[in-house]
Amino acid sequence: MQEPPTAPTTSQSSVSQGHLTTPGQGSNTGLQYPKSPPAPGQASTKTKVPPVRRMRRIIAEDAEWSLAIVPLLTELCIQHIVKNFQNNPILNQLLPEHQQKVLSHLSPDLPLTVTANLIDDESYWRRCCAQRWPVCHVTRYGGSWKRMFFERHLENLLKLFIPGTTDPSVILSLVPLCKRYVRRIQVDQFLPPVQLPTTSQPGDQSDSGSEGEGDGPTQDHYQLGDLVAGLSHLEELDLAYGVKDCGMNFEWNLFLFTFRDCQSLAATIKACHTLKIFRLTRSKVGDEKARILIRSLLDHPALEELDLSNNFIGDRGARGAAKLLSHSRLRILNLANNQVRAPGAQALAHALEHNTCLVSLNLRLNCIEDEGGQALAHALQTNKCLTTLHLGGNELSEPTATLLSQVLSVNTTLTSINLSCNHIGLDGGKQLLEGISDNKTLLEFDLRLSDVAQESEYLINQALHANREAARQRVLNPGHFVSFINAKGPQNSVR
Amino acid sequence: MNPSGAHGVLEQNGEEHISTPIHGPSIHSDNPQERIQARRLRIAARLEARRREALGEYLDGKKESEEDQSKSYKQKEESRLKLTKLLLCGTELVTNIQVATDIREIHRRVEEEEIKRQRHEKLENEVKTSQDKFDEITMKWEEGKQKRIPQDLWEMLNTQQQHCAGLIEDKNKLISELQQELKIKDDQYVKDLKKQSDDICLLLERMEEQVKNVMKNFRQELYHIEKAFEAERQELMTSNKKKWERALQAHNAKELEYLLNRMKKVDDYEKQLNKQRIWDCEEYNTIKIKLERDVQILEQQLQQMKATYQLNQEKLEYNFQVLKKRDEESTVIKSQQKRKLNRLHDILNNLRSKYIKQIKQFHEENQALTSDYKRLITQFKELQKAMRHFALIDEEQFREIWLMNEEEAKSLIRRAFDVDQVISIQHLGLTWTMPDFWFLKNVGPIFQQQKKSATQILEEVLLQTEEEGAEAATPDTESYLDLPKQISAKTTKKILMLLCDESGFLIESKLLSLLLPLEKSECYLLRLDAIFSALGIENEDDLYKLVNFFLKYRSHCLSPTQVSAFNQANTEQTSFMSTLKGLGLISSLDRRSLVSKSEQDPEEQETLEGGQEGRIVGREPEEKEAPLSPRLIHPNDVLKVLEAFVMGLKKPKDFHPPPRIQKYGRDNSKDSEYWEALTTVIPLAKLNLWDALYKALEKYHLVLTQRIKQLMENDTLEQQNTELQSLLQQYLQSKVNSELQVPPTQGFWLPAK
Repeated sequence: MQEPPTAPTTSQSSVSQGHLTTPGQGSNTGLQYPKSPPAPGQASTKTKVPPVRRMRRIIAEDAEWSLAIVPLLTELCIQHIVKNFQNNPILNQLLPEHQQKVLSHLSPDLPLTVTANLIDDESYWRRCCAQRWPVCHVTRYGGSWKRMFFERHLENLLKLFIPGTTDPSVILSLVPLCKRYVRRIQVDQFLPPVQLPTTSQPGDQSDSGSEGEGDGPTQDHYQLGDLVAGLSHLEELDLAYGVKDCGMNFEWNLFLFTFRDCQSLAATIKACHTLKIFRLTRSKVGDEKARILIRSLLDHPALEELDLSNNFIGDRGARGAAKLLSHSRLRILNLANNQVRAPGAQALAHALEHNTCLVSLNLRLNCIEDEGGQALAHALQTNKCLTTLHLGGNELSEPTATLLSQVLSVNTTLTSINLSCNHIGLDGGKQLLEGISDNKTLLEFDLRLSDVAQESEYLINQALHANREAARQRVLNPGHFVSFINAKGPQNSVR
Repeated sequence: MNPSGAHGVLEQNGEEHISTPIHGPSIHSDNPQERIQARRLRIAARLEARRREALGEYLDGKKESEEDQSKSYKQKEESRLKLTKLLLCGTELVTNIQVATDIREIHRRVEEEEIKRQRHEKLENEVKTSQDKFDEITMKWEEGKQKRIPQDLWEMLNTQQQHCAGLIEDKNKLISELQQELKIKDDQYVKDLKKQSDDICLLLERMEEQVKNVMKNFRQELYHIEKAFEAERQELMTSNKKKWERALQAHNAKELEYLLNRMKKVDDYEKQLNKQRIWDCEEYNTIKIKLERDVQILEQQLQQMKATYQLNQEKLEYNFQVLKKRDEESTVIKSQQKRKLNRLHDILNNLRSKYIKQIKQFHEENQALTSDYKRLITQFKELQKAMRHFALIDEEQFREIWLMNEEEAKSLIRRAFDVDQVISIQHLGLTWTMPDFWFLKNVGPIFQQQKKSATQILEEVLLQTEEEGAEAATPDTESYLDLPKQISAKTTKKILMLLCDESGFLIESKLLSLLLPLEKSECYLLRLDAIFSALGIENEDDLYKLVNFFLKYRSHCLSPTQVSAFNQANTEQTSFMSTLKGLGLISSLDRRSLVSKSEQDPEEQETLEGGQEGRIVGREPEEKEAPLSPRLIHPNDVLKVLEAFVMGLKKPKDFHPPPRIQKYGRDNSKDSEYWEALTTVIPLAKLNLWDALYKALEKYHLVLTQRIKQLMENDTLEQQNTELQSLLQQYLQSKVNSELQVPPTQGFWLPAK
């Protein structure tokens, strides 16, 4: 396994040479070991000097030979095991320290069929990862190098999968190896099938992109159903139907999330009961497709987070999402940068009124306007669960702000509100300031670029700071925070 | 957190990069709005910085006010606040870009919408106008069809063509306009792309700056905190050191004090030690002397012990040798014994098997015999029954025969008496009295009174005495029995009690244990019974003999033997026991002999009775003495008496082998006497008298017979006379006479008269 050509790095080569020379010599002078200890100059042990005399001639043939590099039998065995690991993987039978040695010498290039289910050692997989990818954030993979390796390996395969040309067994054969370790599939590129050169006429591209769904199976991407069904620990699906780095070969066809894709994906996520997080972003998901997906997610046993940001979801899709809120245990809903307007926001607000699960709602860069904003604010007066609300860039104005200020004085669960990029106005800002002065739980309140007076923004930030301090005290020593707040309160108001 | 946050922002921006093209805000931008925003951002950042300063000051003030808090804590708090501020501001600064792009995007969208609407309107207008024009043209075609004049048609066609060209031109114009717009949009897109890349660059720059800034600040704060800690530590150290020194000084002073005290104490102790030493020395000397003396004594003893030890050793060696020899012998013997044992074991096994066989055999035999026995028993019982029956019958018969014979005899006797009476009264002229014999009154077979057994008598005696105890006035001897010949029941009882108390050794221990729960009288009774059975006393006579013996003994040798009896009592007991044992073997025979003795040996009985009478004579005074001394005989003499008694009993038994007597048979000893007596009812003198009488009577008879003969002759003669007379008469009285004038008879007649 450690052949000289595959080990070009200097540090490894020296080691491998050391390893390689000794076995060869062992075969040559194997019988002479007991009779022929090293030359006096090389040997540090003086007890073996006397019988050396006769055999000195033989030792002199190999100038590099020395007792110092004669490895122990266990060392030799370990080397042998490492060498033949691909054919005869012996690991679990070894003693722990020997296992460690073997693992430290194994090459990261070993086939996964051998190593996947046998080796659990993190350092080995760390080496594998380090060899393949220059940047590795192991914390994003739950601190497990092995999980990272398999997830990224699978991701790479999926990214490069071309329907029709690549053999699907390439991916499916990996399933038994990685199903215990993969918890997340994060793919931001799905390659379409290879187009015949005749069809790629520059004139048609722009038109066919919008109505390309009629083209049928030719535009479909890889169907995840089989893979997901095989992965028993899958918890997160993070998909983006698109092509990266297309450069000047840009075609609308490449960024097409077809109906068949949508239906197969819907069936896949419906069948996957362990799924907790589902993200489908930047995929031009329209109302119909969103409704198909959401329908398949109704009453899902485990789903906690749904992210459909950067799509084309309108009011009907939002209404579907609102229905999903009351039919699942969703905790985080992200509909940022879609086309949700007032009716969709009203539907969401209606669902939010009685919801007890949703913690975070993101409606950034939609157009819900005051009607939707007021509906949401009304809903928040009764909701006791939501902590994070993002309404940035939604054309909101003063009426919403007045309602929200009322909400702030009542609600005790909200910790973070984002109203940036709206037209709150000066009066709205003052009202919000009034509202926040009664609130003790809000920690973040973003009012940037929303036409609020700087003075009120500053005072709001002061109040938030006090809240943060109080929250910190609460975390540090629960039970004394009340008195602390009371002690701090007057000082803040004075300043 | 910073890198990840930056990453997140990057990602978000990346997402936006694809979907919406936006520009980064910079003061040098072409777009005025952008510039405004950039300025706003700058102002915000400055404000932020100022506020931070203010907060820092405020924190400083707070620090001073809270002196009691530790320096490090204050420093930590301060740093924390500073850093959170920094982070907050940094993230705000970074996210500002995103917010800016967002708002730009919103504006763009609004504008886009507006433009779109305008375009739509424009297009719709265009469509309307073009449609109108088209309708006009098509209308014209209808008109053209009606035109027949070529010129008109040509003219019309020309106008049509012009109209069409105008329409097409309009359309083309629109297309070109739209294409222009598209081009502008394309340019815009490229610009947007550039802006975005700028934005991203700015973002990256800011992020890096932020990272650097944060890192620097963190370092600084860390440094400050460390410094604070160090200072605090220093302070603490100095204060502790002072404390330590103070404590050390105090400690030293105390140490000195202790040392002085100690030295004093040492002096004291030394003095004490010297005293003690001297005293100890003296004591030591005395003890030494004493011990040396002891040692000498002990050495002497040791020498002695050694000598004895030597002696003992020799002895033991000798013994050892002897024992060895013995051991050898014993081993030999042991082996022999073992062999023997084995042999015996074999034999034992054989015998056992034999024994088992025998047992079986015997068992079978036993069963056979038991069955036989049972059969025999039944037979025997039947026989007994029959025998009893026969005995009864025999008895009856015997009685009948007896009665018959007796009657006969008695009738004979009566006749004899009658005869005697007749003889004595009529013939002899003597007065005759009926002789009175006991047997004459007897009717039926003679039943001799059975001798009472000793126990019966005992019972009676005891009961009697008890009764007496209850009612003392009753006449004793008469009411009691005819047998206690002149011996009062009391004395008898006393003697018996004495006997019972003294000769307890004759009773079996088992019996004694059984007797414990019984009443006193019963106990005595049973005890005496046992003692009597041991002594061989069975019946009344023996008992009385014993009592008499006792009494006699007492009268005999009370005075001379009393002293010696005390001493001899024990030895006698043993000797007595031995004699008893000798007796015991033949006791059953003896008893019978004893039973029979009284009858068989009338002579002896007589002598004994004589003795009795003698004793009675001797006893009379004793009887009177008895109440004086409750004990007739001293307990110690009892054994002697008993021994003498037993020896005495033994003798007669030896002389007279016992004739067998049927237990249930009648006592026929007196029968012969009876019958003989019956025969001798008439005494010999009387018989002699009768003989003489007989002879006289015979003579008288002879005379009488002669007289009879003479009388007879007389009679015959008279008869002849009469006959002759009758004949004469007859003759006389006969007819012939009558016929005759003077009959012959007349002559006779007269004389006879």
